[in-house]
Amino acid sequence: MIEIVDAGPFNTIQDLGRPGYRNIGVTASGAMDPLALKIANLLVGNDEGDAAIEVQTFPFRLRFREATVFAVTGGGDATLDGVALPPWWMQTAGAGQCLELRPSPSARAYIAFGGGVDVPPVMGSRSTSLRGAFGGIDGRFLKKDDTLRLGEPAGTLPVDGLGAVPPAKALAAFFPNAPDGTLLIRALPAGEHDLFGADAERFWSQSWKISSQSDRTGYRLSGEPVRAPASVEMRSYGIVPGVVQVPPGGEPIVQMSDANTAGGYPKIAGVVEADLWRLGQARIGSRLRFVRSSHAEARTLDRALADYVEDVRNTSQMVARALKTIAGR
Amino acid sequence: MSAVDFSDPATIAFLAAALQAAGVDGIEIEQPARKVRIVVERDAPGAAPLVQTLQTSPGATQLEAVTAPMAGIFDANHPDSPAPSSEPPREVGAGETLGFIRVGSVLLPVKASRPGMLTGRVAKDGAVVGYGDPLFEIELRP
Amino acid sequence: MTSSMPQPVDRSADTLAKKPPSTPAYRRQAHISTIGARAFLLEAPGDFDLPAQRRIWALARALRHWDDLGEIVPGMTNLLAIFKTTPEDPDAVTARLLDAWERAESIDIRGKTIEIGVHYGGEHAIDLAELCNRSGLSAREVVRLHYEGTYTVFALGSAPGFGYLHGLDPRIHMPRKTVPSLNMASGCVTIGGMQTGVAVLTGPNGWNSIGFADLQMFDPTADVPAIMAPGDTVRFLPERIEL
Repeated sequence: MIEIVDAGPFNTIQDLGRPGYRNIGVTASGAMDPLALKIANLLVGNDEGDAAIEVQTFPFRLRFREATVFAVTGGGDATLDGVALPPWWMQTAGAGQCLELRPSPSARAYIAFGGGVDVPPVMGSRSTSLRGAFGGIDGRFLKKDDTLRLGEPAGTLPVDGLGAVPPAKALAAFFPNAPDGTLLIRALPAGEHDLFGADAERFWSQSWKISSQSDRTGYRLSGEPVRAPASVEMRSYGIVPGVVQVPPGGEPIVQMSDANTAGGYPKIAGVVEADLWRLGQARIGSRLRFVRSSHAEARTLDRALADYVEDVRNTSQMVARALKTIAGR
Repeated sequence: MSAVDFSDPATIAFLAAALQAAGVDGIEIEQPARKVRIVVERDAPGAAPLVQTLQTSPGATQLEAVTAPMAGIFDANHPDSPAPSSEPPREVGAGETLGFIRVGSVLLPVKASRPGMLTGRVAKDGAVVGYGDPLFEIELRP
Repeated sequence: MTSSMPQPVDRSADTLAKKPPSTPAYRRQAHISTIGARAFLLEAPGDFDLPAQRRIWALARALRHWDDLGEIVPGMTNLLAIFKTTPEDPDAVTARLLDAWERAESIDIRGKTIEIGVHYGGEHAIDLAELCNRSGLSAREVVRLHYEGTYTVFALGSAPGFGYLHGLDPRIHMPRKTVPSLNMASGCVTIGGMQTGVAVLTGPNGWNSIGFADLQMFDPTADVPAIMAPGDTVRFLPERIEL
């Protein structure tokens, strides 16, 4: 059992979401950084898609009612009873110990627990749908004094302290940033791209700032507006996270995990799926630039991510077995 | 014997081969500051030998080696750490993480087992280390 | 939180109220574009009408047999096909989708009929007066035209269980508001362009409300969470008219 000691708004229970219901208007939701969620789960011996806490408002504090294996990945500077934990780290907490997360350069932290957060699945997922008001705890964000039950830990690794090389480091060759720190996000032109004429090039060439009107629903970008010369008439179409739409004002919106299932603004680009986790960690006020990609490159990135996840899964198990053998000597 | 460097994998490999050739399981070697035990596995020829640092000899400065918990790549700093950890000498507490062993994409902590003064760093960042290789030296509090 | 990010919603509705549709409705052939590397959007050529939507339903049905698809999202005379993994050859995917579209015969889904009792007028009918102004009709006339219509669920989307209803009398078409109502109640019976629907979430809404229906359109815990399905017929019953 976990007790929430201190929580600002918008921290929610998330897993990998509930895709498959867009055709009845249900947003997939799910972790904004699914890669961090998977790694947190693997480090505690869970299935990669088990439910965890997504923290995006700091500081965040929780107390362990009993000894619990947990991992913190993504962002968030974590301390356990005041002792700092390395980033992307798994540890065992004793009963009564308090975990605190403070802000870090990444926007969102994931806290996974051995056995996963046990809330009733709704439509195949434990993810909180704030808009739909279901999933997680009654479809709302976590608040002080909430208690969370945990599932039965399945294959908890019998080691105290284990981490993953953060993907930004492990996969630096595949996910580069600009020298000035601007996030480079790979995208493909979408349906109305060419209607923006000369403005389309400015969409790619300039760096956009993530405005304060950004959340799990989507990011509003500020910069020099891009506009189509003629008004573009759209019929409502299904959308996915990563679609970059341009409302009449000319400042793009990138739809994210809690986006509506349908939209009607002209779409200028679509972020390749393998880069969504990085977008999910981008903070308000930071800058990004879109880089034209290809299906071939997207497949290369998909494979790099899959290999990394597999490596963490297999190596953490192997390391745990080896340590057990050594301890038994 | 004091000239023998037990942090050198080549030395260990040489000794292990010699032990294996001689048909013995292991050897204990005393140096002024500590005692090292090298154990070869008969069932697994070619496997990395087990190197354990035992207690330091009485009377001498109480030194303890912090050894690699597993074979891998040593680094005193976490890959995400913006600044290098402070170099020895410095005070460390029991259980304090002194560095990391990287195995693939997984990191294992190298922890001080007892409190004391971190006096030396034996392994270099990026070094490939074997299980039991000494990484740090700690002068124990009396 | 959602108020900071009002989701752009259906603008197809504005078609008739403004100038004739430009792109992409003038296209002669189905058009395929991508969203990211895994999602492909097929847009039907021609008008925004029931025959086009029937072919979209047929296409959706045909695509259910594609093992490499993770999700099929029919929209307004368009369909988003989301693949489980990034396709190696996007041109081949485009060709497959166009081929499936060419083969898709218009189907008439024999859906169920849903009757929705409506309290027309009253406190929730915040846009009825404006609709009267615009149409030159009396409130009673507007309400009558609405409940005498027979509607077809074109697609579900935007919000959980929300059905886009086609078949609204052209005399009471009304474009979406440029400034959405910030807190429209779930249950409001609304008109957006040439479509009508019942709001399923309380929140920002750009459609025009003329009444209220006390019907739960969506239950996430039910075996079939959404009451409406594409192809269903909807009728509104005037339970009360308060003008």
